[in-house]
Amino acid sequence: MSTIEHNPSRPSPIAVEAGAWLRAQQRAGGAWLRIAIAVPLVAGVFTVAQAYVLSLLIDRALAAGVPRAEQAGLAALLVAIIAARALLAYLGERAGARASEDAKQAIRGALQASLVRRSPEWFCDKSSGVIAAQLVDSVEALDGYFARFMPAMSAAAILPLAFAIGLMPIDLVVGTLFFVTAPLIPAFMALVGWGAEAASRRHLTAFTRLSGLFADRLRGIVVLKLFGRAEDEVARVRAASDDVAARTLGVLRIAFLSSAVLEFFAAVGVAGVALYVGLSYLGYIDLRGAPLTLQAGLFCLLMAPDVYMPLRTLAAHYHDRAAAKAAAADIASVIGLPAAEAEGTDAAPSRALPAGPLAVTLSGVGVDAPGRGMVLRDVVLDIPPGTRVALLGRSGIGKSTLVEAIARLRAADGAIAIGGMPLTEIGEAELRKHVVLIPQRPRLFHGSIADNIRLARPDADDAAVEAAARAALVLDFADRGDGLATPVGERGRGISGGEAHRVALARLFLTDPGLVLLDEPTAHLDAATEERIVDAILAFSEGRTLIVATHSQAVARRMDRIYRIAGGRLLPVPHRPSAVRETLRGQGERL
Amino acid sequence: MRLLFSLVRKRLGAFALALFLSILTLAAGTGLLGVSGWFLTGAALAGAAGATFELFAPSALVRGFSFLRIGARYGERMTGHAATLSLLSDLRAAVFGRLIPLVPLKGVLSRTGDFVARLTSDIEQLDLVLLQALLPLMTALAGAGGLALLLALTLPEALPVGLAGFAITALAVPLVLVATGRAVGTASVRASADLRIAALDGMDGHLDLAALGALESGERRFADAAAELRRARLAEARRVALGPALAQLGAGLTMAGTLWLGLAAVQEGRLAGPVLAGILLAILALFEVTGPILRGAARLGSALAAGRRIEALVSAEPSVRDPLAPARLPGVGTLEIAAAGYAYDSGRPVLADISLTASPGERIALIGASGSGKSTLLSLVMRLDDVTEGAIRYGGIDIRDATLADLRAHIALLTQDAPVFIGTVRDNLRIGSPFADDATLHAALGNARLDGFVRSLPNGLDTWLGESGATLSAGQARRLCLARTLLSPARVILLDEPTAGLDAETEAEFLGDLLVAAEGRTLILATHAAVDRAAVDRVLRLESGRLVPA
Repeated sequence: MSTIEHNPSRPSPIAVEAGAWLRAQQRAGGAWLRIAIAVPLVAGVFTVAQAYVLSLLIDRALAAGVPRAEQAGLAALLVAIIAARALLAYLGERAGARASEDAKQAIRGALQASLVRRSPEWFCDKSSGVIAAQLVDSVEALDGYFARFMPAMSAAAILPLAFAIGLMPIDLVVGTLFFVTAPLIPAFMALVGWGAEAASRRHLTAFTRLSGLFADRLRGIVVLKLFGRAEDEVARVRAASDDVAARTLGVLRIAFLSSAVLEFFAAVGVAGVALYVGLSYLGYIDLRGAPLTLQAGLFCLLMAPDVYMPLRTLAAHYHDRAAAKAAAADIASVIGLPAAEAEGTDAAPSRALPAGPLAVTLSGVGVDAPGRGMVLRDVVLDIPPGTRVALLGRSGIGKSTLVEAIARLRAADGAIAIGGMPLTEIGEAELRKHVVLIPQRPRLFHGSIADNIRLARPDADDAAVEAAARAALVLDFADRGDGLATPVGERGRGISGGEAHRVALARLFLTDPGLVLLDEPTAHLDAATEERIVDAILAFSEGRTLIVATHSQAVARRMDRIYRIAGGRLLPVPHRPSAVRETLRGQGERL
Repeated sequence: MRLLFSLVRKRLGAFALALFLSILTLAAGTGLLGVSGWFLTGAALAGAAGATFELFAPSALVRGFSFLRIGARYGERMTGHAATLSLLSDLRAAVFGRLIPLVPLKGVLSRTGDFVARLTSDIEQLDLVLLQALLPLMTALAGAGGLALLLALTLPEALPVGLAGFAITALAVPLVLVATGRAVGTASVRASADLRIAALDGMDGHLDLAALGALESGERRFADAAAELRRARLAEARRVALGPALAQLGAGLTMAGTLWLGLAAVQEGRLAGPVLAGILLAILALFEVTGPILRGAARLGSALAAGRRIEALVSAEPSVRDPLAPARLPGVGTLEIAAAGYAYDSGRPVLADISLTASPGERIALIGASGSGKSTLLSLVMRLDDVTEGAIRYGGIDIRDATLADLRAHIALLTQDAPVFIGTVRDNLRIGSPFADDATLHAALGNARLDGFVRSLPNGLDTWLGESGATLSAGQARRLCLARTLLSPARVILLDEPTAGLDAETEAEFLGDLLVAAEGRTLILATHAAVDRAAVDRVLRLESGRLVPA
């Protein structure tokens, strides 16, 4: 079990913060939540009415001997009350579901918005399976809190006491019995509930991790099978599932204990009323001045289960609150709880970048990569507009890091300027419009190849997408399937690494940046394809600044300048640009 | 559902106990309220008439029933949940186990997020079927029997009303809800899976989206998926809401109908008044069982949809099977591909007439453009699928005549997209050799030129690797996967683009080291990189599905 138990540098969650956050989310439930809370209270009135009419009917028939025919009106009233209660139950459920769905949607939106604004570094050591499980499953675990717990909570706080006080004029002893026992119950439940919450949190953590483990092992199921290790992974999955089962049972053992306390009071309440009222009738107990009518006694007995019913409903939904708080604490510890108001990030006015090719200057730039130490230090670079530059170096030396730092996708020390403007002063939208980076391992999304290309410019027409696809040699392989409509599986399944790179290049060709940053654009390609791709890249980069991180000498040779990264520093490599460039200019015009 | 029920049989004892306790709980609750009503009314009438009333039995029954109910309730919940949870654990392992022979899972794995949804939330949905629907349903059947007995003995004319009311509320209405809920349930499960995919796309593709300034478009996709899930869940909630409402209506109307008939019987002197009060209160208590059934039934639709998806997944036919009487592969042998051909199910040919013989210790480079069929050829040697023409033999034995385990002990493959698993460096390496000691692991890392790096890490072999090995560079991740492959005892090593993502310098070093590390093993190296012809025995080229000398 060590694998899913491993807990790398996880801050201890703040349960208090999670609880406060959860309460603050009530606003997202809106009017529907208020309706859901009001309905059980109104239904309480009908509960009393039903018990009253039923006991009256029986009293008249048995004690007064009223014939059935004369009771038709009362019977009709009873049926009407029953129908009204059913209608209210339906209304309450609907309103609760609506409030909960609205709240969950708002929370998912806020979480996603806060995730989107994070730097790519944040995602490095996180499991995307875990984060996705939080957005889907953990938020789903909040469902019961809004749909069921909140309405049950207010009903349990008001109805038992209201019923008890209402019963006092009929029989003081019964009323007092209910008045005293009902408030005791939540106290007992809170006592057991605390334990339930901690256990529930452990369960949810295990469940989220289990989900991440499944996703991970599934992604590599071919490799596991090839090594004959798949059967062992069944054992691991089995152990992980057993662990989740044990944890869940731990939660339930305590949750059921709290409902047993309740069950005890409810049963004792019914039995107590029956015995007290019955013995009063027979004259064994005489605590009242006036004799009790059959109707009053029956009314008390009929109300006895109903006094405890709101508390039983609350107990049934108490674990919803525990699960919701645990889910919130879980979200808090990985993603972090978003503030109610979205902070205005784009409010700061930014200066516009000039059109056309952009100069890039770096001075004293250093990057400290998490877990890898200082990857780059004191990097100095001055690239005039329109220059094509290759960054060479062994894998893992920091080429990607540098390129990502220039694109402001990774925090760096020192000064980076693009187009003569400090990187920190350029607005996000402005930066992305003028600077495009294609990463080393481009991610393709679920959808068609055309959808994936269009990502770079959502309003691009089919002709533009096709032109970009042709230039990036995407059509070479897309035509084996359904052309650009060929679906791409999740995580780019059905598309090889080299093909994914070409789709990502097609994205680039749809944009119009002044600075192009490419990270290993020709990995996975054979020499012939590599040459054609470089032709296309050079043609596109006409009139733009280009920085290519590559380990391919063939690619580097075709650039204007070559730098080599060694020992965290950037060293120029003597290089005379080949004459190829002149011949390419013609191709560029044709593109 | 067949899979589920075959697993239930193994836990039958636990479920029977839960059912018994559940019936006992219902009986005690019904008895408590019924006896209370009867006792109270009887006492009132006797008191008013000045008559005597035998006290001992009713008061003992009232106390007995209340304590029985408390105990039985707790026991029922614990046993029921314990049985269900262990069943779900069984189910997870069974589903995962049944999946393995289906690898490479044509088509299914294209949506990992969807697939994970099946294995976790779909399986969890199934507990609804047992705990929230089937167990209360069987309890209700027992309750119906009890009600019939009570009415037959006391108020026979109310038998049709009581039984019909109970049957409609506890059986007919749930069945209608389930029948109409299938489409809605399926939509909700699908919407949830789509949301997960949108979330995974947004997380894994965050760098791409950020670099393209397209974060809003990713956010919009997620928002659309979340809105779709909300719609599906609301449609489900519309039906779920009917459950409690109909339970209240059924209980109320059945009680009112019985009351109406009972009043006539009392009037005619056929029924004692206290007994009528007892019957009415017992009916109210008995209907408590319908609440969980109706709530469960309205959600049963999505549970059944989840069950069907799991069933469809695991009941697929494996494309590759072990032979009934397997032959044993020799320790050392010649790998021979004889006139092999392969076509997809669609009939599209991928490889045709491939013949290749690799003697023990021979090193062969297989070059060709990406998409020329190199990866397919290597996966056929591993029997991830079988050749559609010709044969592949090892030591003269057709690999289809050997077990897969035997084959994999003799031949190992480093796939092009081999992942770094969540776990430690050691966990990752031991997939290649489960019992290898640290010295062996370090040696394998050394051969893959990664040992220096791993030793420089503060936790060494115990360093935790995140998803997709994001703390490693692409080249380091590749080398880790290579070390894993080198740890395999196989005498034949197949490498699919082992140097993709490495620079020329590292690539040359790496290939040199590889040849040393492979010492005596047969090596087939598929690559698009330029190959040093002196380092290998032969170079062959794959061109549009055919093998040509290079």
